[in-house]
Amino acid sequence: MINQKIEKLLANVQKPGRYVGGELNCVMKRTDEVDVRFAFCFPDIYEVGMSHLGMKILYSQLNTMPYVWCERVFAPWVDMEEQMRKNEVPLYALESGDSIAEFDIIGFTLQYELSYTNILNMLDLAGIPLKSCDRHSLSQLVVAGGPCACNSEPLADFIDLFFIGEGEEVDCEVVDLYREFKKKNGSKEDFLIAAAQIQGVYVPSLYEVTYHEDGTVSAITPKCGAPETVKKRIMMDIDHSYFPDKFVVPYIEIVHDRTVAEVLRGCIRGCRFCQAGFLYRPFREKSVDVIDKQCHDLCANTGYDEISLSSLSTSDHSKINELLDQLLTWTEGENTGISLPSLRVDGFSTEMMSKIKSVRRSGLTFAPEAGTQRLRDVINKNVTEEELLTTVNKAFSGGWTTIKLYFMIGLPTETLEDIEGIANLGQMVVDAYYDNPNKPKGKTVKVTLSASSFVPKPFTPFQWEPQDTIEMLHQKQRHLIASVKTRKIEPSWHDANTTFLEGVFARGDRRLCSVLLEAQKNGCKMDGWQDFFSLPKWLQMFEKCGVDPAFYANRKRSFDEVLPWDHIDYGVKKSFLIEECKKAYSNSATPNCREQCSSCGAACFKGGICCENR
Amino acid sequence: MKTVRVWFKKVGSARYISHLDLNRCMSRAIHKAKIPLWYTQGFNPHAFITFALPLSLGISGERESMDIKLDNDTITRDELIEGLNSALPDDIPIFDVTEPVMKPGQIAYASFVISLNTEEADAEQIAAKIKDLFCCEEIIVPKHTKNGWIDLNIKPHLDQVEVTAKNAGVKINAILPAGSTMNVNPVLLNEAIKKYLKLDLYADIQRTNIYDANFKIFE
Repeated sequence: MINQKIEKLLANVQKPGRYVGGELNCVMKRTDEVDVRFAFCFPDIYEVGMSHLGMKILYSQLNTMPYVWCERVFAPWVDMEEQMRKNEVPLYALESGDSIAEFDIIGFTLQYELSYTNILNMLDLAGIPLKSCDRHSLSQLVVAGGPCACNSEPLADFIDLFFIGEGEEVDCEVVDLYREFKKKNGSKEDFLIAAAQIQGVYVPSLYEVTYHEDGTVSAITPKCGAPETVKKRIMMDIDHSYFPDKFVVPYIEIVHDRTVAEVLRGCIRGCRFCQAGFLYRPFREKSVDVIDKQCHDLCANTGYDEISLSSLSTSDHSKINELLDQLLTWTEGENTGISLPSLRVDGFSTEMMSKIKSVRRSGLTFAPEAGTQRLRDVINKNVTEEELLTTVNKAFSGGWTTIKLYFMIGLPTETLEDIEGIANLGQMVVDAYYDNPNKPKGKTVKVTLSASSFVPKPFTPFQWEPQDTIEMLHQKQRHLIASVKTRKIEPSWHDANTTFLEGVFARGDRRLCSVLLEAQKNGCKMDGWQDFFSLPKWLQMFEKCGVDPAFYANRKRSFDEVLPWDHIDYGVKKSFLIEECKKAYSNSATPNCREQCSSCGAACFKGGICCENR
Repeated sequence: MKTVRVWFKKVGSARYISHLDLNRCMSRAIHKAKIPLWYTQGFNPHAFITFALPLSLGISGERESMDIKLDNDTITRDELIEGLNSALPDDIPIFDVTEPVMKPGQIAYASFVISLNTEEADAEQIAAKIKDLFCCEEIIVPKHTKNGWIDLNIKPHLDQVEVTAKNAGVKINAILPAGSTMNVNPVLLNEAIKKYLKLDLYADIQRTNIYDANFKIFE
């Protein structure tokens, strides 16, 4: 319900449908009938945010609480922001059209380090003081959760409270507590102290960080009774944990414009570069009947004719074929297609592919991640060349001619030989096509080699590793291009500059808060969008604040260094990560969770694959 | 197989969605409401959904229509209306389903209500100025076409325009050429006001009805 003041701006912006709300299934309540107004903010544009499953789950769940009204807020694109600033229209929530400055709780989801400036920019656009210490009342409480909350230190000055782990329970508990404090006119300080007692809540202002002379952290000390370590929250019974039966259906086309069903959480694989693989342990599957019912409800309530079976690795569901068969009993009659977003090289079968409609459109994508077997062992990506060739041969026989392979460059221990390995692997796929007698007639093959740059992340075995410098990454990118000998192979790569900034913030500490603040003041925003990101500008900010970005990104850290995120506990033991890091250096692989337990520590949650019979 | 004409409004938030998005929105609603649609029998089956006269972004429509082909006659008019309404957002209500009488190609005119917000200014005075403007011999405004920007004289198309001051604003009732051969977007009238009178007024534009060449209401 946007007002005329907002409507006036819409004639001057691209895609006004982003800013109007009113979509099918959006939740409307009356402000006088709720106690807590929650602004769920996604620090990117509408099309990106509306595609995010976590937001769909928590939006619906918070709105099941009768005294809470949760509304959606997205970062306006630059044209709309300009209009809003010029006409003094503050950032508003899509459902009510009210300024988010009027809200009790303003929640951000942290999906990507390069969206941090958007968070500050959104608060600024709402007229809300950026720093927690400048917000004195209980209302305008700024909270955040999501994967990047695992090292939230670069945002510690701005966010009052972080959710660590999965939000379904802890979000509601905090909202309940807030309501209690609001009713008795409690202070913000008392509320935060009380909230810190809830498992999965991290209140950065209740921790004091001291530093050594060399700039490394010396200690992180809790005060006011806050716990020494904050342990993540996790939904162990995902069959029975909340999942919405309807989603808001956008008017305009969004990035993932389809029904999204979650089939499992966590991942059994333990790839050493993958943060999600460690943050979401242990691996937990939803049962076939539950997934089937959730898909059916969602399709019935949204009208979408495509279902995406989403997870970190859907083909690792132990009953994936059974699930597809059950879905097919009704999807075919309803003209509904099924798609799998993530395919493993070793999880591909023509049987499975024949049940899936949408893959034929776009070609197939696999992620060997590294060019040589040695390096794949280092990162524990347990996929062999033979498996890849078997898989692409199956795909060629099945009529596919476009294959996309994902790689990372800048991995620990990587040499130029490993880079050549990427091109060689591409060549082998091309050769396999021409050697395949069942290949599609009269068509040529296209292999895309997509090379992103590695960013060492907290809570992975590579959290101590130095990131390759921009120069090193550029050299490796050039080497990759030079190693490709045929036009059937198309190499592509990611911008090394953004990778560098991502690396700085991923493993940063509280001293980066001042840099973020300065960056927002100087107009840094939408850093994840190539058209807006400017490394020279960022380097200026670092210099102005006297912070050396290389200290965070390119420095080798020792195992005994206190890491800025050491007081956060995701269940996986630090000793396990050290062991894994050492194994990486000896090129030795670790079996997946289904084959054998490696005692990572996630069994402390007493469930999932940790408690299954192997 | 039977073609029906579905009548709907496109108001409120739905004004801001493009024709392409409306098309997707309707397809989803038809799928959700399980309307027995007739699909092409080819390799890649798709449904037939045709809109009589697409609406520009930002303009609301009081009497919009789309034609769909049904697979059979078993579904009633009321079931269609009810089914689609429960599958569509509130700002796209379905109010009737009829058998098509005219072809969309016969559409030649559309009527609009343009409400100009004059804010603190004197609405009577502005209305008078606009009336004078519309009496000029020639009113040239830039129009965006497939081949780029052209200068269009809208004066010959303004013989059915009425300007009145109303409720602290100016209301323009206009019947303008619309359809595949000649089309005058009502936004151009506001462009003329901006250009000639140097007035930048917020315009709320409604398309109220569509007609054939003899000004018979499109059915």
